[in-house]
Amino acid sequence: MENVKLEPSSKLRHLNKLRWLTLTTVFFMLILLPFIYLYQTYEAAHAYDLLTPTEKTISDSMESLTSPFVKDPEELDAIKGTTWSGTLFGLKLSDPLAVVGQVFASLSLYWPFILTAFIPLFATLLLGRFYCGWICPATLIYELNDNLAVWLRKAGLPVSRRKLDRRIKYVVLAVGLILSIYLGAALFASIYPPAIIGREIYYAIALGGFGAGAVFFLLTLLFDLMVSRRGFCRYVCPGGALYSLLGRYRLFRIKRNVTKCNDCAKCNVACQFGLDPLQDDFGMECNNCTACIASCPTDALGFTINMRDSAYQGPGHLGHQYKKEQEGS
Amino acid sequence: MKRRRFLQYLASSGLASMVAGEGIKAAYAPSMRYLRPPGSHDEKTFLAKCIRCGKCGESCPNRAIKFFSTENGLASLDTPFIIPREQACILCMKCGDICPTGAIPKIEYEADTILDGVHMGHARVDVNLCLSFQGKTCGVCYRACPLPDVALRVGMLEQPYVLDKCVGCGLCERSCIQIPQAIKVIPNHTSAS
Repeated sequence: MENVKLEPSSKLRHLNKLRWLTLTTVFFMLILLPFIYLYQTYEAAHAYDLLTPTEKTISDSMESLTSPFVKDPEELDAIKGTTWSGTLFGLKLSDPLAVVGQVFASLSLYWPFILTAFIPLFATLLLGRFYCGWICPATLIYELNDNLAVWLRKAGLPVSRRKLDRRIKYVVLAVGLILSIYLGAALFASIYPPAIIGREIYYAIALGGFGAGAVFFLLTLLFDLMVSRRGFCRYVCPGGALYSLLGRYRLFRIKRNVTKCNDCAKCNVACQFGLDPLQDDFGMECNNCTACIASCPTDALGFTINMRDSAYQGPGHLGHQYKKEQEGS
Repeated sequence: MKRRRFLQYLASSGLASMVAGEGIKAAYAPSMRYLRPPGSHDEKTFLAKCIRCGKCGESCPNRAIKFFSTENGLASLDTPFIIPREQACILCMKCGDICPTGAIPKIEYEADTILDGVHMGHARVDVNLCLSFQGKTCGVCYRACPLPDVALRVGMLEQPYVLDKCVGCGLCERSCIQIPQAIKVIPNHTSAS
């Protein structure tokens, strides 16, 4: 009976879909907010009759979109900003990297700003690099870029998947902090993809064109295609470095259930960060993106609450190697 | 051994970053006449405090705040600025409300607090260009000034006289009907320590 198939039943595998949903939601918010800003400026100028047809379209569509929720366009100020630093109904949230970079650049502690990073910081201590997998607007593009790499490879074009030293990004973080002190300017904002994406979308929509950051971001996309898979996130990104350090002793981590594992190694292929779930090697780089959980045909991967990864548990009990060993002994 | 090599790597890259920093510093040479958003500190403090989030621009109802690309040096990449002749600041103080880092301080929307806290620049009249000084009564700058008789006073023939309390919003420069403009805002951030 071919059509009777053992379907994996774990609910955790749907987390990956949820992750795509949050990624796209964040990304579309970043596109929507500049349009809302434009709409607000039109309203502030009381100049509807003077708008060009395109501007009228923007104004009309934003009005129909927002009028069910707010009466006065000025109330739309409740949601402003990007993932680098934003305001959400009076709650100010900032990227911990922004805070660290700013503290080093200004060599002073401005508590109202530092406190804005506390919620993300706490979440990172619990969940590790979850920002990289679940929220970062650049991740969406990088993951699509990785799909592109698969197609390019199928089309016979060379796509490089070199392995570099993971510790390069910690050097980038350290050098960036030293340079921030030295120059007295927060430099990470210029090389940190999520900050660039948020800004550049706003520039393109509200100010009429991309800035210098867009060029840098395109270069990182090329880096991912031509040097290493997800290379920028794995080897260069200073934010990734900071989150990896913070999430080193995270409580929520993915663990392989060795009794269900059949050594198929699909998880290792699914992991864009080049980690090794098959050998229980997650480490501080894992961003809990759950792509491996979604790819596992036997539901052998799941979450656990533990400060450390377990040591290598040996070959999966459903695999050939384990059976051979059992017969041998 | 591995750790030692890594530390060597770290130290040498630190040294390299110093050299690169000198290069970036050399590239920082302001040549434009621009204003920082209202209430901003002097240039050095501003660059150190600003995280380039762009929220000041996103909150500006007058679309006066724009952002530098590389034209003002790498240190001010993506920082906000205002060119008053293009679009001047209306002193609504929304950017200070939304700025998370205090690079643009929070200033209440009151005449007193604005006069106290905002020092973007100071307007200067070119008597040879100004129509009112040529006997053609104009007075547009005075009509545009958000702080009339406090920041800008006019004479009998509408000749503008800038007073000490001028905060440098640039609305007079924006409104000037002469080409080139007869009243200009000289930014404060370059002279302040």
